[in-house]
Amino acid sequence: MKAALALAGLTLRDRRRRVLALLAFAAVFLAAGTAARLLVADEGGHVDADRLYLLGGYPLVSALLLLGWLLGRFPLLATLVLVSGVVSRDRTEGFARLYAVRPVAPLAVYGTRFAVLAALAFGISAILLPAFDLLMLGTWAGPATLVLIFANVVLFGGLTALLSVWTRGDGWIALLLALAALVWDALRSAGALPFPPGVRDFVAFVLPPQAALFRLEEAFGAIEPIPWDAFLYVVGYGVVMLVLAALSLRRREV
Amino acid sequence: MPGSPMIELRGVRKEYEPGSGRGRRPVVALDGITLMVPRGETWAVVGPNGAGKTTLFGVLLGFLHPTAGAVRIDGESPRRYLRRRGAGYLPERFRLPGEWTVRGALLALARLEGLHGAAAGAAVDRVIGEFGLGEHAGKPLGALSRGLLQRVGLAQALLADRELVVFDEPTEGLDPLWRIRFRELVARLGREGRTVLVASHELAEVERIAERAVLLEGGRVREVLEIARGEGEPRRYLLELAAPAPSLADAFPGAVPAPEGGARYVVTVADAAELSGRLAALLATGAVLVAVHPAAEALEDRVRRVLSGGGA
Repeated sequence: MKAALALAGLTLRDRRRRVLALLAFAAVFLAAGTAARLLVADEGGHVDADRLYLLGGYPLVSALLLLGWLLGRFPLLATLVLVSGVVSRDRTEGFARLYAVRPVAPLAVYGTRFAVLAALAFGISAILLPAFDLLMLGTWAGPATLVLIFANVVLFGGLTALLSVWTRGDGWIALLLALAALVWDALRSAGALPFPPGVRDFVAFVLPPQAALFRLEEAFGAIEPIPWDAFLYVVGYGVVMLVLAALSLRRREV
Repeated sequence: MPGSPMIELRGVRKEYEPGSGRGRRPVVALDGITLMVPRGETWAVVGPNGAGKTTLFGVLLGFLHPTAGAVRIDGESPRRYLRRRGAGYLPERFRLPGEWTVRGALLALARLEGLHGAAAGAAVDRVIGEFGLGEHAGKPLGALSRGLLQRVGLAQALLADRELVVFDEPTEGLDPLWRIRFRELVARLGREGRTVLVASHELAEVERIAERAVLLEGGRVREVLEIARGEGEPRRYLLELAAPAPSLADAFPGAVPAPEGGARYVVTVADAAELSGRLAALLATGAVLVAVHPAAEALEDRVRRVLSGGGA
């Protein structure tokens, strides 16, 4: 474990550009939130959308809504940015062979690396989301925020890790699958899919569980009790992906 | 298990799936490779580009799964052996992330070798000293020249004392001084009883370090060439005379004109003492000697002969 941690530490070093990019991206949210608060905060510390409309019309309100939507995707983006290439980069560049001749299990090397990167994605998101809430609402959604972030990190981290064992395009494919799940779930909820129910359900089952994730996001947005069944479903999907990644790692050529 | 082969490959075949396209057939990288490398010997793998040298090492070390056949290292599957015992390995075109420093990279790899704390530091200090990397230890790998990076590659391969050591094109990018040091290093590994495999295009280098050379062509073993280097074994020398000397045939029965032409001849003797005695006899007849060299191209000649369809 100590050996794998040493390697994971070096991985953080060569991921530092990605970390800086994420921090810069987070800074944009915080700057926008701070500006909105300074301009139109009410007595309770809320950013008042009506006053924002009066100030800048639809463009300003739309920009803030877009920021809010993007913020909800930040744990997903942070996870994809940090975890992508967790295995595939080593295979592509030939580093994996240098580790494979050492008396250490690949699962220890890549498992530790994944855990460190996932923890970093969780940490950055866990600072940004509550900070943005505090700026916009004067309060934060409590542990539901952390539950939502954790679910995202496990789900998309697991998916990216599995893809990373098999392909170089892991991060992009995971992003495409996330978007596909988002669109499929929206069309399914609206009853707009021209497929038999079996097909609709099967595709929804195979794709990342967007419906369950959406329930978590709704609870987070409305500051309602956490739907634990949805949480367990999302995390269960991520864990299955991680188990498949671990099994694949044992057989995969390097 | 003394006496048992360290490495066994039986009927190994490796096919790569082709890219997309209908009707494409798999690319056969290795075909029917059967080899047994005894423990403690130094073998080379030689052959033209695309002969399958790197794929052979990939299959041997468990990076690649053979399509058919079996591979054993010390009686175990490669992955199982490496998980338990590890191996020293220098890949062709050694690389690690360019942001890592020389020392940081070596320390991380030393820890993967199972060395911790002071032991890891000591192993890293030893290889940094051995490969002259002291003044570069704090530099990022991305800032190193090709030759320096190759020395880091050699250093990481020797962080731990492994019974099996595999070098893929080890002298690539090394200057003449470090090529000599590499030769000394392989000789030392041989004396320590390690099993060493070296893939190289440099046949003169191979001839100096290996006991046998596996000649691959088109994924098949064309020949396993024995390289005579030991005491009491015949040695070949190239004699360069000022002019052809009729007495040469008496002094060196079996001398043959060298391919380079002129008054150059390849002679075979048992050892340096016999060479000196016969040279003295030749010079006594009035022949004028310009130069004498070990016939270092012998392996190259043999390889050329085999690849052009003749025997070894």
